[in-house]
Amino acid sequence: MDFEFLIDGSPRRISLENRDGAVYFREGEVAVEAEVRRISSAELLFTFGGRTSRIHLARDGERAFVSVAGREFVITEPLPGTRGPLEGDEAGVQGSFLVKSPMPGRVIKLSVGEGQPVRKNQALAIVEAMKMENEIQSPAEGIVKKIHVSVGEFVDSEKPLMEIESTK
Amino acid sequence: MFRKILIANRGEIAVRVIKACREMGIRTAAVYSEADARSLHVGLADEAVLIGPAPAVDSYLSMGRIVEAARRTGAEAIHPGYGFLAENADFAALCEEEGIVFIGPSSAALAIVGDKVRARQTMEEAGIPTIPGMKSVSRSPEEFRAAARSLGFPVMVKASAGGGGKGMRIVRDDGGLVPAVEAGRREAKSAFGDDSVYLEKYIEEPRHVEFQVLADNHGAIVHLFERECSIQRRHQKILEETPSTALEPGLRSKMGETAVKAMRAAGYNNAGTVEFLLDRDRRFYFLEVNARLQVEHPITELVTGVDLVRQQIQIASGGKLSLNQGDISQRGHAIECRIYAEDPKANFLPSPGRIVLLREPKGPGVRFDSGVLEGWDVPVHYDPILAKLIVWAEDREAACRRMSVALDDCVILGIHTTAGFLGDVVKHPEFRAGRTTTSFIPKQFSSWGTGAGEEDARRMALAAAAFDLLTRPTGRAGTPETGPTKGTATPWTTLGRWRAGGDDLYGL
Repeated sequence: MDFEFLIDGSPRRISLENRDGAVYFREGEVAVEAEVRRISSAELLFTFGGRTSRIHLARDGERAFVSVAGREFVITEPLPGTRGPLEGDEAGVQGSFLVKSPMPGRVIKLSVGEGQPVRKNQALAIVEAMKMENEIQSPAEGIVKKIHVSVGEFVDSEKPLMEIESTK
Repeated sequence: MFRKILIANRGEIAVRVIKACREMGIRTAAVYSEADARSLHVGLADEAVLIGPAPAVDSYLSMGRIVEAARRTGAEAIHPGYGFLAENADFAALCEEEGIVFIGPSSAALAIVGDKVRARQTMEEAGIPTIPGMKSVSRSPEEFRAAARSLGFPVMVKASAGGGGKGMRIVRDDGGLVPAVEAGRREAKSAFGDDSVYLEKYIEEPRHVEFQVLADNHGAIVHLFERECSIQRRHQKILEETPSTALEPGLRSKMGETAVKAMRAAGYNNAGTVEFLLDRDRRFYFLEVNARLQVEHPITELVTGVDLVRQQIQIASGGKLSLNQGDISQRGHAIECRIYAEDPKANFLPSPGRIVLLREPKGPGVRFDSGVLEGWDVPVHYDPILAKLIVWAEDREAACRRMSVALDDCVILGIHTTAGFLGDVVKHPEFRAGRTTTSFIPKQFSSWGTGAGEEDARRMALAAAAFDLLTRPTGRAGTPETGPTKGTATPWTTLGRWRAGGDDLYGL
């Protein structure tokens, strides 16, 4: 069976067959055969190459969180009708970038104003979370078209902070 | 001995103190903010008092509300943990006035060591080597410029009330100075409520070695050897170990004696830590006193066998130190990894959110000091520390191996954590060789999450997600399921292995 996933935001296409615990995995040129056992709803055992790895998996809404040897991945299925993520998180309309905060937090400083020209990587705002200040930089050279937040406001990682119109 | 102690903190350290109290037969009162109503420490304490809304300034930093909570619950003493009010001399003084025992140094000792600038002066007068720097805090950009020029770039902006890397900035040229001072000030204000900063000469690639000290209220002082804390990101420790690979017995005892001398000069009492920088020529400089229980205290506990929290409580209740310097020795090797809610693939950005699955590592020589629960939302308002994984083994190599396996077994899903990253730190050949300096992370791990191991893990994760969709039990989540019934006798044998293009990836 074929699967399309986004893993940490990157699209991947794999196929997986399950025959009585023997699992055949294929992705492009890579083929893997392993024995897989489910221990609980959250734990799978993968045996291949003479070693058994314990994999943990939990779902929260549409996201599956998977832990493999201390590494965590977020896996989602692409929404029907979409063709994977666009280039970069900020890419919105062509020539225009929606700048988002990479994590939830509080806007503690806006370094630019609407209509102001900005260079690529110029500081646009500072968002504070868990007592750390994080500088949000401009993804491109352009002009600040619209600022959607104000100082003191709480933002999540979805809400755009501002829109930059690219001039390059 | 006290009958009840109030713990003016949250997270793993509040849990750690509650455990010590339970062992000593002391009842505990927790305090919590609205964001922490469902937190682990609240459930473990005998009682809990809501002290305010989520922002720390209105809750965990509110002296009045905490003292009021102590009154209301009848607690005779307050344990401040680390961070928040732990090194606040005004808070210690308020407790003293109110007749509540502050489990930490006296307000007088705190006033000396808690103010980094005053501490430096005291140490210089006592003949202890210090890093060249400004003699006082300043608000004038001209004074900062003049000081930076006379010290010579690079310089370090430091918060006078500082600790934990907050407010610190390295400045390499004149142009970066004023913005760095401004940012340092804002961060210091929000972390400590005091925006005083000063400059110090920046020592390139030092090791960070600190000595644990215990001092009773009757003049007895001992040290419990060193902790090496060179592995840092953003000037904040993420991995600590003891003993340090950099110290030979002569240097170790010299630094230990200096630490005791420093604490004596400051009139220090209770548990504290003297931090030193060790430069490339093995010269050491007094950095600061951490006038509190340290995050990394467990590694000292594991190699010395001394329970530092119990010692703190005994000392605070007026007891005499039961340890002599000659009785304290180091046995084996201990390492601590700090599990933070941060994304190591995105420059350690904070990663608050819901923990959807939690599996704590365990096994021989493995300790997990945790402040989190499955199904709990990690709040955005506080320090991102979730838990500390501490291991002990006979020697450093065995401890590294034990840590590596324990990190693999540490499962926290739903948010990003530093666990996988720390696993690669522990496996790194430079780390294994003991060549650790404070530039280790920026130098060796400027990008992470791209190696071959990462790609294998990624494929396995994809396979697991697909397998889960194919076989997911339709029943209630969390119901244990049995695996395929066929071939149950040999679940551990190999049926296949990773192959790339038909070739064996591992050359087996």
